[in-house]
Amino acid sequence: MGKFRANLMLCAGTGCVASESPKVSAALSEEIKKRGLEEELKIVLTGCNGYCAEGPVMAVYPDEIFYQKVTVEDVPLLVEEHFIKGRPYQKLMFKEPEKKTAIPLMKDIPFFKHQVLRVLRNKGLIDPEKIEEYIARDGYQAAAKALTQMTPEEIVKVVKDSGVRGRGGAGFPTGMKWEFASKVKSDIKFMLCNGDEGDPGAFMDRSVMEADPHSVIEGMIIGARAIGAHHGFIYVRAEYPLAVKRLQLAIDQATEAGLLGKNILDTGFDFELKIYLGAGAFVCGEETALMRSIEGKRGMPRPRPPFPAVKGLWDKPSVLNNVETLAQIAPIILNGAEWYRSLGTEKSAGTKVFALTGAINNVGLVEVPMGIPLRTIIYDIGGGPKKGRKFKAVQLGGPSGGCIPESLLDIPVTYEDIVATGAIVGSGGMVVMDDNTCMVGTAKFFLEFTADESCGKCVPCRVGTKILLDILTDITEGKGQESDIETLQDLARDILASSLCGLGQTAPNPILTTIKYFRDEYESHILHKWCKAGVCRKLTTFWIDEKLCKACGACLRACPSKAIVGEKKVPHKIIQELCVQCRTCYDTCKFHSIKILPAKFEGDPHEFLEAAAAGEKKGEA
Amino acid sequence: MSGPRILIVDDEPVVIKSAERVLKSEGYDVEGAAGGREAILKLEKGGYDLVFTDLKMPEVDGLTLIKWIRKSSTVIGIVIITGYPSQDTIKDALELGIIDYVPKPFTPSVLLDVTARAVEWTQGRKPREEKAHEEFPPAMAAELDRVIEHYRKIPGSLIPVLQRAQEIVGYLPPVVQKRISKGLNIPEAEIHGVVSFYSFFTMKPRGDHNIRVCLGTACYVKGIEGVVSKIRDTLKIDIGETTEDRKFSLEGVRCLGACGLAPVMVIDQETFGAMSPRKALEIISRYDSTVVAAAAAEPGADLAEKES
Repeated sequence: MGKFRANLMLCAGTGCVASESPKVSAALSEEIKKRGLEEELKIVLTGCNGYCAEGPVMAVYPDEIFYQKVTVEDVPLLVEEHFIKGRPYQKLMFKEPEKKTAIPLMKDIPFFKHQVLRVLRNKGLIDPEKIEEYIARDGYQAAAKALTQMTPEEIVKVVKDSGVRGRGGAGFPTGMKWEFASKVKSDIKFMLCNGDEGDPGAFMDRSVMEADPHSVIEGMIIGARAIGAHHGFIYVRAEYPLAVKRLQLAIDQATEAGLLGKNILDTGFDFELKIYLGAGAFVCGEETALMRSIEGKRGMPRPRPPFPAVKGLWDKPSVLNNVETLAQIAPIILNGAEWYRSLGTEKSAGTKVFALTGAINNVGLVEVPMGIPLRTIIYDIGGGPKKGRKFKAVQLGGPSGGCIPESLLDIPVTYEDIVATGAIVGSGGMVVMDDNTCMVGTAKFFLEFTADESCGKCVPCRVGTKILLDILTDITEGKGQESDIETLQDLARDILASSLCGLGQTAPNPILTTIKYFRDEYESHILHKWCKAGVCRKLTTFWIDEKLCKACGACLRACPSKAIVGEKKVPHKIIQELCVQCRTCYDTCKFHSIKILPAKFEGDPHEFLEAAAAGEKKGEA
Repeated sequence: MSGPRILIVDDEPVVIKSAERVLKSEGYDVEGAAGGREAILKLEKGGYDLVFTDLKMPEVDGLTLIKWIRKSSTVIGIVIITGYPSQDTIKDALELGIIDYVPKPFTPSVLLDVTARAVEWTQGRKPREEKAHEEFPPAMAAELDRVIEHYRKIPGSLIPVLQRAQEIVGYLPPVVQKRISKGLNIPEAEIHGVVSFYSFFTMKPRGDHNIRVCLGTACYVKGIEGVVSKIRDTLKIDIGETTEDRKFSLEGVRCLGACGLAPVMVIDQETFGAMSPRKALEIISRYDSTVVAAAAAEPGADLAEKES
């Protein structure tokens, strides 16, 4: 960063590219040229910053000023104000909701303030397409140390002592995995990386592969040395074209620099690394399935043991680590196990990246020390639910995970504490749901996913998930029976107990947790034919509370089926016979005058809602 | 005019002459052009069914000519004649929709063979019929064979081969699977098993534009369902289907990993974030303006938009 006055770190991750950061980049470079500042300002296109919702984002160094939602139109003024007049451009700075004051520095913005960056240490700071920039930030020093100064046993020991656990979902100690594989004698071994990020709602692996591909490669070199593997594959989803491109570039550059291939750093150690494109199957996140897939077959899991550390890819000892896990290996080797343990808890050491999304103010990737309360992530970093909405649940761990209610938000985020709730940490997808989300519908959403993605090998999973889905569909369509809840629970437990792989063993979690924490919603669907969130169309009647209606006409104009009547100063009314329950009016009304009643409601809505509210209060007390 | 009319474009007169002699004796109507410029002038007048062209020519070269032809006509069949069939030029030409290539120098029988196949292909193509989807052009087959040859000895290469095949042909119909089965010596059943297992592979032809909607959790919570049903109603296709005019196909994907922008839609290679039913239609109409009418027919949708 020497000779330039300032570095403009513009995000070029998938999210920001979609919000047109390439156009902003072009406009910036044109403006800089026009002003004759080419010698002073440098634009660096970085990988994913993580704060995708506010993209395109740009940080200016060395002053650390953070700009968000930068548009082409903003560019001339931004350059003029910040770089000519020397006063950072307030318009594009972060502003706290409800307040007008701009926060100029990245480290002061709540979203970044609570984060500790280890996995994402290079995010937004380097150009991921240049190996020199990675090396300038201590890149490949750990690989050099591992190859020249450490024995494989020493590497395994440091990783084991650090307590780092697999970040892909199961949380198996990485050091132990490596130890098993290192002890097996074999002519060929494989070091594999799982970049088949399949959990909907998780995108940290994509971000790491895009923003810092060399950190993954370095982790793999160290792992290969530890277990004695000379061949490796990175299994990446074909849906991540940018990640694939950057990884390939990184592999090419590392090979040219003598960090991959034959005789790495003149130590006599060989490691060949290739990318293998996945073809879209959720079950391939399971290690034995992933290995079958690399062999060119249907990605179906097989029973363990033998474990992959003994018989993996092509029946040779193999270690499979997740992207996020591998990205932490280099700093562990450089700084030692104690350094790693300085954050997190005894059993869940270090940091974890979460993909915070859904009905929340600040959406993006957050890396926090393990053990901090869920509430800190959701409220302090995420800024809580949107104005006027009420937090309902946070979904952790994708289709294998579960929904955690408000009452449990103070639990620390560790593998054990999360499992105790019925959810799992999983790969770190954290989707926040507010009172607009129906929990039965959510369970159904996940079951649609798992029923579709079940590979079909085990009957309980293949048939069971389908039956679960059928029951849930019935409930959301008003055909639910009182006995359904018990049937769901029984069947869920059977599937859990009798499936071979992680997919079946966890697929019922979304149902079990929603029943556990939101049983009232199931009951209201089944008994009262009432979807309180107004999501299940067949269990909803929209009704305008004439006492609250301001007769503004907004809903009337918005209604696509022209089911709303009324005029100025006369409260509006929905003609139920014409209503298709599309919810447009509900989302349009600024005065919350539209209420949700059970299907085909008859009677006095005021009395009904009052009684229901009183009942709820009683339940809470 | 009876037989198909063929134009031979080459800067070497001897090539034109010998091709003319061979093809005329078989009853084809053949003419020659000494370069790209002359060819364009002749084609401008119309009436040709098939063009054989050299790639390396002074002034207007083969690729430029092919591009020009494709701009003006989709029914003229194109075959390239080349002395240097390099991967790259063939690939470029393939993308422009050539049928086949003839290596230089060629024997009469090779030329007749290629011509016969090309004529068949052009005739099958007008008008655009289902038949065209049962077979695939010989040049694609040649490219596919090269891919198979490249991977033949590498263990576990079925999935990469299928990925490349889908890139070349656009989808994986039984003929393609059959060819791969022969080439890699893997039973067809096993290939079908892999194709049907992975969601990336499709056995149905996709539309000119492939719309992919993200069905991930974040997009679900943010209301992708509404976007999907709007697209479904407007284009009259369900997820996994292609419109009748083959302009659009609709696909659901598990998670695009762009949850920060939820709900997300991708058309071809471009990602669009923060979708609403109306915005989605607006974007789709950029690809085909007839969709605009449907988008505008949604009363007061802008109001709902403002709130969100």
